[in-house]
Amino acid sequence: MTLEIVRSIASGIPWTLAVTLAAFAIGAALGAPLCAMRFSSFTLVRGLAGALTLFLRAIPPLVWLFLIFFGLGFGYLQINPFEAAAVGLGLIAAANMAEIYRGALASIHHGQWEAAFALNLSARHRFLDVIAPQLLRVALPSGASYAIGLLKDTAIASTIGVSEIAFQAYHTSQRTFHSLDVYAIAGLLYILISLPMAWATRWADVRLRARVAR
Amino acid sequence: MNADPLLEREGSRRKASETPLLRLEGVHKRYAEFEAVAGVDLQVKTGEVVAIIGPSGSGKSTLLRCINQLEPPTAGRVTVGDVSIDAEREPSRRELMQLRRSVGMVFQSFNLFPHLTVLRNISLAQERVMGRSRKQADEVSRQLLARVGLADKADQYPNRCSGGQQQRIAIARALALGPQLMLFDEPTSALDPELGLEVHAVIRELAANGMTMIVVTHEMHFAESVSERVIVMADGRIVEEGTSAQVMRDPTSERAKRFLRAVADR
Repeated sequence: MTLEIVRSIASGIPWTLAVTLAAFAIGAALGAPLCAMRFSSFTLVRGLAGALTLFLRAIPPLVWLFLIFFGLGFGYLQINPFEAAAVGLGLIAAANMAEIYRGALASIHHGQWEAAFALNLSARHRFLDVIAPQLLRVALPSGASYAIGLLKDTAIASTIGVSEIAFQAYHTSQRTFHSLDVYAIAGLLYILISLPMAWATRWADVRLRARVAR
Repeated sequence: MNADPLLEREGSRRKASETPLLRLEGVHKRYAEFEAVAGVDLQVKTGEVVAIIGPSGSGKSTLLRCINQLEPPTAGRVTVGDVSIDAEREPSRRELMQLRRSVGMVFQSFNLFPHLTVLRNISLAQERVMGRSRKQADEVSRQLLARVGLADKADQYPNRCSGGQQQRIAIARALALGPQLMLFDEPTSALDPELGLEVHAVIRELAANGMTMIVVTHEMHFAESVSERVIVMADGRIVEEGTSAQVMRDPTSERAKRFLRAVADR
């Protein structure tokens, strides 16, 4: 019985991972231009980026998913639950990653920019060779914490029908009436997925830090 | 220090030529309410070594940073070799590149790239700016490292090196681009005296080989011994200028006298 319950909840793991990965990838990628916009020399672009960040973060993830899936999904564009969840969580992730990049950028000593200028590196090389590698190292721990948070946020994708862990747990409990066991197992699964993520991050962080810490 | 493969050694310092390599005309740098540099005229000839001293906040570092346009002057003109940049108009990217190509800079806080090995720190700009191959660049970098006495540090990361070593690496990094003029912005202020000496030795060796240099420093003995000309700045202006001996022993302006007395009393 228990094994059957575990197996049916665990069948949600691939979807949980897929939504997490897709949303994080969208966030990590779109966060970069959003962060760059906040440093633009045009007031309008800066303002737009600020407004966008606020807008994306102020609305609860659940409302975003409903807005995209039920709102846009009916009549405006063809979108399946997985895509709606990935896009909705991905956009919110973009706003948060942009802020993480911004903090990382601010933590890079201005002397690094000055040295890059004085060595006559072009804007592209200043960024790609000098700033970006350091920025990614600084952003790694907060980015990873955010990814772990995102993993848990994917549970709300169950509300629009993505068959991830929470979705499977809900249906299993409806079927078996072992609600306590079922949700305890679901909780355990989230812990089991988060732990290796946290360990991997710590390992990478220590390794990179040992090489570059001042 | 090891034999120098890059520059021919000469017994004594090359004679300074007559055409100025650097010319500053009426250079000002104003921040909102505060004028950091308030009109400086200065000429430095090829092969000359000029030391700039003066109290904190007198505009020495800002002036240095105006030369390579790290701080664009708000008025006046900066000429290095045949590139001239006037604050009146925005310089093109090409002009900035041309100017910076002939100017190397060494910072108080070294500013090595912490994510790159010592060798890569020195090679990076050679590849990106001069178009050298990785092999060529690394070879030049190794020669320069040997020249500053750090051949064994090539594969270390900067954080494994002492402050004095980091500063010598930063000097090698600037030299790798073949500058005509080297700017030193308080190169030993962040170092304890003993480590400062090894950096001074490298700078002296450059001077002896005829490198044109401007050195902003708080260390009077070093200023006096490395340079033939000393400039005293206060409140954004040059208040005293002359040979090292003259400025140190027999300053004429009240402001310079006050500063040198204060330094001597310390």
